[in-house]
Amino acid sequence: MLAYRQGDAGAFEVLYARHKGPLYRFVLRSVRERGLAEELYQEIWMRVIEARGRYTVQAKFTTWLYTIAHNRLADHWRKRGLKLVELADHDAPAPAADEPESRAQGRQSLQRFAAALGALPEAQREAFLLHEESGMSVAEIAAATGVGEEAAKSRVRYALAKLREAMADG
Amino acid sequence: MADPGRDARVSERYRTLGREEPPPELDAAILAASRRRHSRWAVPVSIAAVVVLAVGVTLRVQIEERKDAEEIALSPRVMQAPAPADEVARQSWRDSAPAPAAAPPANGAQESRAQELRAGSRKREALAEVTADRAEPAAPASANVVAGRISPSAPETPEQWLERIARLRDAGKAREADESLAEFRKRYPEYRMSEAMRARVAPR
Repeated sequence: MLAYRQGDAGAFEVLYARHKGPLYRFVLRSVRERGLAEELYQEIWMRVIEARGRYTVQAKFTTWLYTIAHNRLADHWRKRGLKLVELADHDAPAPAADEPESRAQGRQSLQRFAAALGALPEAQREAFLLHEESGMSVAEIAAATGVGEEAAKSRVRYALAKLREAMADG
Repeated sequence: MADPGRDARVSERYRTLGREEPPPELDAAILAASRRRHSRWAVPVSIAAVVVLAVGVTLRVQIEERKDAEEIALSPRVMQAPAPADEVARQSWRDSAPAPAAAPPANGAQESRAQELRAGSRKREALAEVTADRAEPAAPASANVVAGRISPSAPETPEQWLERIARLRDAGKAREADESLAEFRKRYPEYRMSEAMRARVAPR
């Protein structure tokens, strides 16, 4: 990031390649709407490009990137009146009539997990996704989302508990 | 602070949801924006470097010339008190011309420099016309005046173009805005605009 801040355009491509997948999935699983996710994802990177001069050595790039992402998503939720999006499995195809039972069960189990992830309160889902996708520690999640470490830790714990529960039901 | 830890079973199940990646055209749009921004920074930085260098050289030459004042026929410009460095720099920015020459030119050279500047100005005007034609082929000249022109020396970025369309909408020029938006989409089919900008440029 420092190389990019100092004018090395190629450094951005390296950073982008490293973080694009996790960030994209983080946004996609947060808003669960592909078109919207792509818009938000692009806007987050535009903010990174615009704000590169303000990046400081003290901040790990991953934390800085997800702080920007968190702020953009917070704007988005604010505009929607902090309402959780309805549960929807847009991408889940209907089971075929001749599908073997074991495969159908696997699909249902996965759908239950996806539904449980989607039903998590926004803050818990965000903490879980940051943990899974960016590999951030609790301290880093706390820094990126602007809460204390205890709060970040609780969010991850609650999210894991609910997801485990959804898996046990299957 | 103890980490709540990763639950391997939950992680594994989460991974089975898929490993989606952004579509390639989105990657391309973001990388292109990064390169555009990089080149936008590079120009002012290099201009500033040239200005600083030129001011330094100019001041040095003036000092040397003053030492030899009795032997050299001075040009009127040298006879004036030297401007402070920052004033010289400001003058260069105002003129938007290349940095001042290393030494103050004699009268003949000044005239030749003025001709160069006039030629440069004509070139910029010609470039502006080409840019305007490309950006909005169907819009009448009066619409351009209402919408406000971008700087003639800078090619229009997609963001500036969208801003111009938004101004056309604000001015009630729906037909021009529609045509310009259609042209924009043709030229930048992969450009993804923000929700706010879409609301401003979309037909009302």
